[in-house]
Amino acid sequence: MPVFNIERGESLGILIQQIINGLSLGSVYALIAVGYSLVYSILMFSNFAHGGFLVIGGYICYFVLKDMGAGILIAGFLSLLGAGAAAILTERLAYKPIREKTNNTLYLLIASMGMSIVIENIFVVTIGGRFRALPDIIPTTPIHLSGMATISAFDLISLLAAVVFLSILQLILVKTKWGLAIRAAAYNLRIASLMGVNVNLLISLTFFIAGTLASVGGIFLAVRYTLYPQLGGITIKAFVAAVIGGLGSLPGAVVGSIILGLAEMLTAGFISSQLRDLVVFFFLVITLLVRPQGLFGKDVGEKV
Amino acid sequence: MSAYTEGIICVLCINAIAVMGVSLVTGYTGIFSLGHAGYMAIGAYTAAILTARYSFYFIPAIVAGGLLAALIAYIIGVPTLKLVGDYYAIASIGLGEAIRLILENGGTFTRGARGFPGIPNYTNLTVAVCSFVIMAFLMFNLINGRFGRAFKACRDDYIAASLLGYNTAKYRILSLVISGFYCGVAGALLGGFLLYIKPLMFDMMKSTELTSVVVFGGLGSMSGTLLGMVIITLITEVFRPISQYRMLIYGAILVIIMVLRPEGIMGQYEFGPGMFKAIKEKFKGDHYSEEGRKV
Amino acid sequence: MAKKSNQNVLQLENLTKYFGGVPAVNDISFSIEEGKLAGLIGPNGAGKTTIFNLITGVYPPDSGKILFWGEDITYLKTYQAIGRNMARTFQNLRLFPHSTALENVMVALQQHHSYSFIEAITHLGGWGKKEREIKAKSMDILDRVGLADRANQKARTLPYGMQRRLEIARALALEPKFLFLDEPAAGMNPEEVNALNTLILGIHKELKFTILVIEHHMDLVMEICSHIICMNFGTKIAEGNPMEIQSHPEVLKAYLGE
Repeated sequence: MPVFNIERGESLGILIQQIINGLSLGSVYALIAVGYSLVYSILMFSNFAHGGFLVIGGYICYFVLKDMGAGILIAGFLSLLGAGAAAILTERLAYKPIREKTNNTLYLLIASMGMSIVIENIFVVTIGGRFRALPDIIPTTPIHLSGMATISAFDLISLLAAVVFLSILQLILVKTKWGLAIRAAAYNLRIASLMGVNVNLLISLTFFIAGTLASVGGIFLAVRYTLYPQLGGITIKAFVAAVIGGLGSLPGAVVGSIILGLAEMLTAGFISSQLRDLVVFFFLVITLLVRPQGLFGKDVGEKV
Repeated sequence: MSAYTEGIICVLCINAIAVMGVSLVTGYTGIFSLGHAGYMAIGAYTAAILTARYSFYFIPAIVAGGLLAALIAYIIGVPTLKLVGDYYAIASIGLGEAIRLILENGGTFTRGARGFPGIPNYTNLTVAVCSFVIMAFLMFNLINGRFGRAFKACRDDYIAASLLGYNTAKYRILSLVISGFYCGVAGALLGGFLLYIKPLMFDMMKSTELTSVVVFGGLGSMSGTLLGMVIITLITEVFRPISQYRMLIYGAILVIIMVLRPEGIMGQYEFGPGMFKAIKEKFKGDHYSEEGRKV
Repeated sequence: MAKKSNQNVLQLENLTKYFGGVPAVNDISFSIEEGKLAGLIGPNGAGKTTIFNLITGVYPPDSGKILFWGEDITYLKTYQAIGRNMARTFQNLRLFPHSTALENVMVALQQHHSYSFIEAITHLGGWGKKEREIKAKSMDILDRVGLADRANQKARTLPYGMQRRLEIARALALEPKFLFLDEPAAGMNPEEVNALNTLILGIHKELKFTILVIEHHMDLVMEICSHIICMNFGTKIAEGNPMEIQSHPEVLKAYLGE
């Protein structure tokens, strides 16, 4: 039955293609989710402005490429730096005064929602809400895999970039003094401050890391979907990934992101691309029902 | 009364019912939500389908809208509110988005993204005002009594509350279910007022508006929430010409209030004799700051 | 004279709890008889508060058993344990800071003077009567601890000593049969400690319930408790009346060092 065989071969090709696609998308989610989780692990609140950092990074990259005619390395570097600085600024302006006054994280959560709206709408009112395509900075040439599947070089590059940046983060966390301080603060911020860690500096550093990682994710998302002020809304998926992996757990954020990326792309490839967003929320609901603390989450409790 | 004024009053009443629900869950119980527009959508679509397609009388349709929203709130609340952390906040975004996606892909039943037209005009001035009065009466009664005190206890220190014998998860879920009912009813009334609804009306921006009104009015003050809602609704009317700045202003207000006065314009006070007594109390007697105490 | 043997209200059997490999409570057994005013003493970090947390279900033990009025309550959740008629205070105050002193007491007292949800939203039926009853009884309790004139003040604006007494008032409002006090004298000056002694003794005498008090001020415990358990490094090192404890070599070693 030759027809059957061809179909089989094709669907295997699609499978490989969608898996690579899913890994690539998942790795971008991971860049965003890890930064978000890092902030969560230290300040114990969901920073909804995290999506804003990604948009800021994306726009910096866009304008540096477009108006200054710079190469991708310079544009990328500036965009990382800019998003990191914006993250620090957000923390200093909106969160620091609140966390110094109270330890009710609800206030931080609401302020972060406000900052997210502010950042998004600053772009809307200044440069407008239209979709902008980044210049061809990342090759999207198709690569043929022994005639079975065709994948895009872009997918491989984004996967590689995510691995590189997350490895750098891992090195910082494990090998440096500040990395140790961040891990200590994630365990207990108050104790870290009693140990003589400069807490404000540490929080700024954490936000900087979160901002730069978000910016890397932002550039890849902008290439994938074009750039617009509401692009940060996609962070919801990274939040969901972090919940699946366990709020505050960095390996959890990575694993959750990969699961989501794969689930989304396989749904798009084999069921219907309209349902791919619904699958994300389906995973969220299943996680909350079956294992609410997430795959790598620790038991949620508080000291008495 | 001009049709315009009547319209404004109807909108105020509908908004009031929705924000009372959000005020209960966020202000009184300390649960942050970014998906309450989703409950409004459930109420709106339930009432619209029941009245327009099955020719229900509007009162049972509105109640059914509220009840279905409350049921969904219960289903989402049980797994997420047992946990400490931002689980409900994130789930609420997911819920809001999922409801929108389901409505958009609902085929002929929900008529998809283009919206649901032809809803009977059941929300007139009388219906809107009466609904508001009834819902406000029940809400203010609820918070002035054992449930109000229990919600606040769970908000302020859930461990202390559980060590006073409170099953805190149960109270948080109850609060969410009641607020879901309020938003469901508000959504149902909105459908009967606009005669046309579409999924995009109930997106995350709408949820954010609801929450920002509650924060602006005062976390833990029901009358503050209502005052804040009136101010924001009227300001929105006045500034309609520069509407592209509206969201920017919303966002900035949220941040500024959290930084300067997280308790909102009314603090935790309610209008009434107690408010003046409390203010007087504040200006006399010893002051010991929370931070200053010995630990 | 034949003494009637009293029933053990609280009985801990080989209770053990580890935190990250370190035993915070190690194989502890003791029991408290009905109507006793007992003390649990020991240096900082001896595991006293952990015992309270285990009894009140804040976390479960790794092994062992807790019996309360003969019922096994080892693995009950916090609110279920409290529902068995016990109440506790905290070493670090846990009042509801934004509520008034009166509301802090009412929220506890209403647990035993409840009314239905329908009554609550309509203010019909038993609502008015019950609310008045809750308020009046709460005022009585505030009066007992000497805070009646501060009833409408927000809890966080009360002076420290009063906050401590408000916590005791809130615990009393649960109308418990067994009261756990976790370092009620922490941070108090000698005068306040004296007043507190009188208060605790008064409560014990009048309300006739069993009390277990954690303290590391020996004086307070020696003065008011008739039965004392001494812990160090998670284990029980001595148990007995104040005289026995005071002269027990292990206790002296724990408190004075080698």
